[in-house]
Amino acid sequence: MQRHTQAIWNDDDSEGYEPLLSERNLETVEVDDTDLPDHLTRDSLKLPELSEPELARHYTRLSQMNYGIDSGPYPLGSCTMKYNPKFTEDIASLPSAAVHPDRDEASVQGTLQIYHELQDYLARIGGMDAVTLQPPAGAAGEFAGILIAQAYHEDNGEGEQRSEVIVPTSAHGTNFASAALAGYDVVELPEDDDGRVDLEALSAAAGDSTAALMLTNPNTLGLFERNIEEIATIVHDAGGLMYYDGANLNALLGRARPGDMGFDIMHYNVHKTFATPHGGGGPGAGPVGVSEQLESFLPNPQVRERDGEYELFEPERSIGKVHGAMGNWLVLLKAHAYISRLGGDGLRDASAKAVLNANYLASQIDLKIPFEPFHHEFVASAGDRDAADFAKRMLDYGVHPPTTKWPENVPEALMTEPTEAESKTSLDQLAEAFGAVAADEPSALEDAPKATSAKRIDQTSAAREPQLSWHQLESR
Amino acid sequence: MNFQIPDELQYAASHEWVDRRDEVVRIGITDFAQDELGDIVFVELPAEGDTVDRDEAFGLVESIKAISDVYAPVAGTVVEINTAVREQPELINEHPFEDGWLIELEPTGEFDHLLEPAEYRAQL
Amino acid sequence: MNGNTTLTTRETTDEKQTGTPFAPQTDEDVAAMLEAIGVSDVDELFDIPDAVRFDESFDIDAGSEQTVVRELTETLERNDAPIEFLGRGHYAHHVPSLVDHISLRSEFITSYTQYQPEITQGFLQVLFEYQSLLVELTGLEIANCSMYDAATALGEAATLADRVRETTGDRILVPDYIRAERRDVLENYVAGADLVVEELPADDGVTTPEILEEAIDDDVVMTYLESPTTDGVLEEHLEEIGEIVSAHDGMFCLGTDPVALALLRSPADVGVDVVVGDASVLGMGPSYGMGLGLFACREAYLRQVPGRLVGASRDDDGNRAFTLTLQTREQHIRRERATSNICTNQAWVALRAAIHAASLGPSGLVSLAKRCHRLAEQTASRLEEIEGVSAPVRDRHHFREFRARVDDANAVATAIEANGFAIHVVDEETVQICVSDRNEHRIDELVDAFTEVVN
Repeated sequence: MQRHTQAIWNDDDSEGYEPLLSERNLETVEVDDTDLPDHLTRDSLKLPELSEPELARHYTRLSQMNYGIDSGPYPLGSCTMKYNPKFTEDIASLPSAAVHPDRDEASVQGTLQIYHELQDYLARIGGMDAVTLQPPAGAAGEFAGILIAQAYHEDNGEGEQRSEVIVPTSAHGTNFASAALAGYDVVELPEDDDGRVDLEALSAAAGDSTAALMLTNPNTLGLFERNIEEIATIVHDAGGLMYYDGANLNALLGRARPGDMGFDIMHYNVHKTFATPHGGGGPGAGPVGVSEQLESFLPNPQVRERDGEYELFEPERSIGKVHGAMGNWLVLLKAHAYISRLGGDGLRDASAKAVLNANYLASQIDLKIPFEPFHHEFVASAGDRDAADFAKRMLDYGVHPPTTKWPENVPEALMTEPTEAESKTSLDQLAEAFGAVAADEPSALEDAPKATSAKRIDQTSAAREPQLSWHQLESR
Repeated sequence: MNFQIPDELQYAASHEWVDRRDEVVRIGITDFAQDELGDIVFVELPAEGDTVDRDEAFGLVESIKAISDVYAPVAGTVVEINTAVREQPELINEHPFEDGWLIELEPTGEFDHLLEPAEYRAQL
Repeated sequence: MNGNTTLTTRETTDEKQTGTPFAPQTDEDVAAMLEAIGVSDVDELFDIPDAVRFDESFDIDAGSEQTVVRELTETLERNDAPIEFLGRGHYAHHVPSLVDHISLRSEFITSYTQYQPEITQGFLQVLFEYQSLLVELTGLEIANCSMYDAATALGEAATLADRVRETTGDRILVPDYIRAERRDVLENYVAGADLVVEELPADDGVTTPEILEEAIDDDVVMTYLESPTTDGVLEEHLEEIGEIVSAHDGMFCLGTDPVALALLRSPADVGVDVVVGDASVLGMGPSYGMGLGLFACREAYLRQVPGRLVGASRDDDGNRAFTLTLQTREQHIRRERATSNICTNQAWVALRAAIHAASLGPSGLVSLAKRCHRLAEQTASRLEEIEGVSAPVRDRHHFREFRARVDDANAVATAIEANGFAIHVVDEETVQICVSDRNEHRIDELVDAFTEVVN
């Protein structure tokens, strides 16, 4: 089996690996020779000073110590690590895309047109009536969406009364945190034995104080919430709104739309569904779609078209802003490029192949998968193995492991999402890695990884004695 | 798993132990609780003089991957906290019933509801 | 393919493309996979009730790579291309070529958050170096590895202030020069905690201790100022202000940026508790406001910090290694009690900022910062010489930008724009001009344009 290898560089001073820039050459520069009063300026600044060739090599070596989608399979469940088409970077690098946010509307018609088109594409894809592109990430989208729900209830004179947001136990942690940030009490909703929303529990939880239900569909087990119409009826009858977490929208493109399922608000994760690169943690974008009755609450500003000209406007009852400008413009531009490249049929095909890949991979793995039928991802159980150890051992077989230990309704969960971008050959490689780890001695898992340049990293001491800068490394 | 459950202590269903001393009760988390959490990296404790109600969260224990509130098995006033576990949270993992104790309370309420060792063992 | 009505195989030519070009399965693969699964059609894998099935088309056309690049390039060409003399909280400097070449390496840009640190040491180390850069610049002990932008970082600072404060209080003070957008975002972040945002007036663009004394009481949870301010002015009394804020048990939050910090006195030195701002002034060209939320704070708040933190540790071989740490603060563990809802952040922008800063080095950073100060004051003086222009409006120290007074700001800006330059209109009689290494070579022409337009 092909193993992922990393560049290892040793020198006597560096204790292995690539030294920190600060360990190469730290220089102190005096700050003088300004006409500013002394009490406003610093005396000196101490930072690394290296030449461009040295820096190029430093960062290139570091890149070789990093695993990306282009390095190999990356089946992180819920994260949707699909291939990022290169041409979108070329478009995002165009000088004409480099505009300041305070430019006159008339002088950035191209940018506004792209915003307008993307608003429209996303509305069609989600079955929504209007879309804002402002939230800079999925969690920011959740926050914006919940603020919209809040504004709607306030507008109905029910702002005080509706103080709760219902969230299923297996939902993303962001759902809980976003609702709490908006000031809501979070009511946790247990799943039924089938891994889906428990209708009785929902009926009991939903009432006069319900502001919204936040739901992922397919849920984090990959299961479609079959009772979605009843769920929506229960929530709507109680006077609450339905919020769709778009983390798993990539499973349904062209086959089902949140708007048709009864959702009033949704967010889209463009790095998951529309292949914008995740960039080692971000930037993403978390556009939010709403039904017609909520359109006037959208963040300020929105983009509209009049006679071929595009302009910004503030929706009548806008919640205000969730980002200092218009969100992550260059990410949105890449998402537009991806959607334009695939078209409606291509998007539908991407979902079909994502679901095909997940089901095929599952069929090749000899681990228990308690919940079916899943779509674009499945949650296998490592059984009597520790899922985190299982994952570390998978690194030794040259692949990125699944998401581990979540959701909690599967013991020792291995949440696996291969995406449409893996070939049958690489799915077979992944299955082989699962099989090899399952067959390994327990000690091999506990000692893993062995084939990576960094071995198992001590998380405990990292948290007990945090060293968060080169300054702290030096002093402790 | 064979968890220590010392006979001389009483327990709460939420995995705290209570050591009834003369004037005060000493409180910590059980061997089972520390094992569930894994390596403990951080502890948050109340201030001396704080009052806590029965079943009220008085502190927080964090491992790398989880956090857990610690609940007061009995009501009372905090008279002493174990500052050593703030510096060395691993004491809780290593000696949950001895050096890893958390607080001492001057109790103001009942004890009848506490679990005896056998009862606590039965619920694990 | 028998019975397969919904899967589309990748075509070799774009004209025939109807499926996604970014899925590699061949016809034979698909057949074998369906057989292994035990279904005859991929439709059978979808467990969607008929009532909510979508059977229509999105009506979005596909395009070849060439077509999409051409179309989007054409659309973007509808953007005018003036030389931007724009700032007001959103700044850009010349980005060294190294930044693009390194940051676009796919090992970096196509990686996920570093949940498996053993195979993501490279990105973790860059983020650690980014954190260290901010620690040096701010003098504060802790910097996280990014928030979304300056506005959301400010919102996070306010919720942090509310969490760590031991006594009650519900007031947040912000300067009247703050961008309205930042204030709007802040208001949304603090509404859930029932905090009220109030404005502090400024004295000719600067906040004085007297102004603050007038406004502050023990209910003030956080006081926020900027330096440089949105008007381009440097605050002059931060140390006294820090003392006043501290005397009322409040948090002192300063908005600034890493280039300005290379010149300015370290915020920690003047009593600042939290520094926020937009760090994408390094690493990114103008990006329509896509930013990099800088967030640094005192070590005392360590367990309450929002966002991701990279720490140093050891691996099993005893070698130094990096890892995300203190994750129990975050939403995926602490859920509704998390220190923030942030998950996806701006890590790649932080990587770019770190590379840019390293390229400049301390000497380059300091010299860029000096230039930003000097250019602003020199350009203001040159405009002052023009009859009908008064600049700078504020008799203060400036950084990167300044205000100028004219008779009719809109008319002047429009005429200036016709000459190929974009400047801010602040009000009917005021424009604002931002100068830096990016537009320095066009300042002569801008001054000429002013001369022509105003006279």
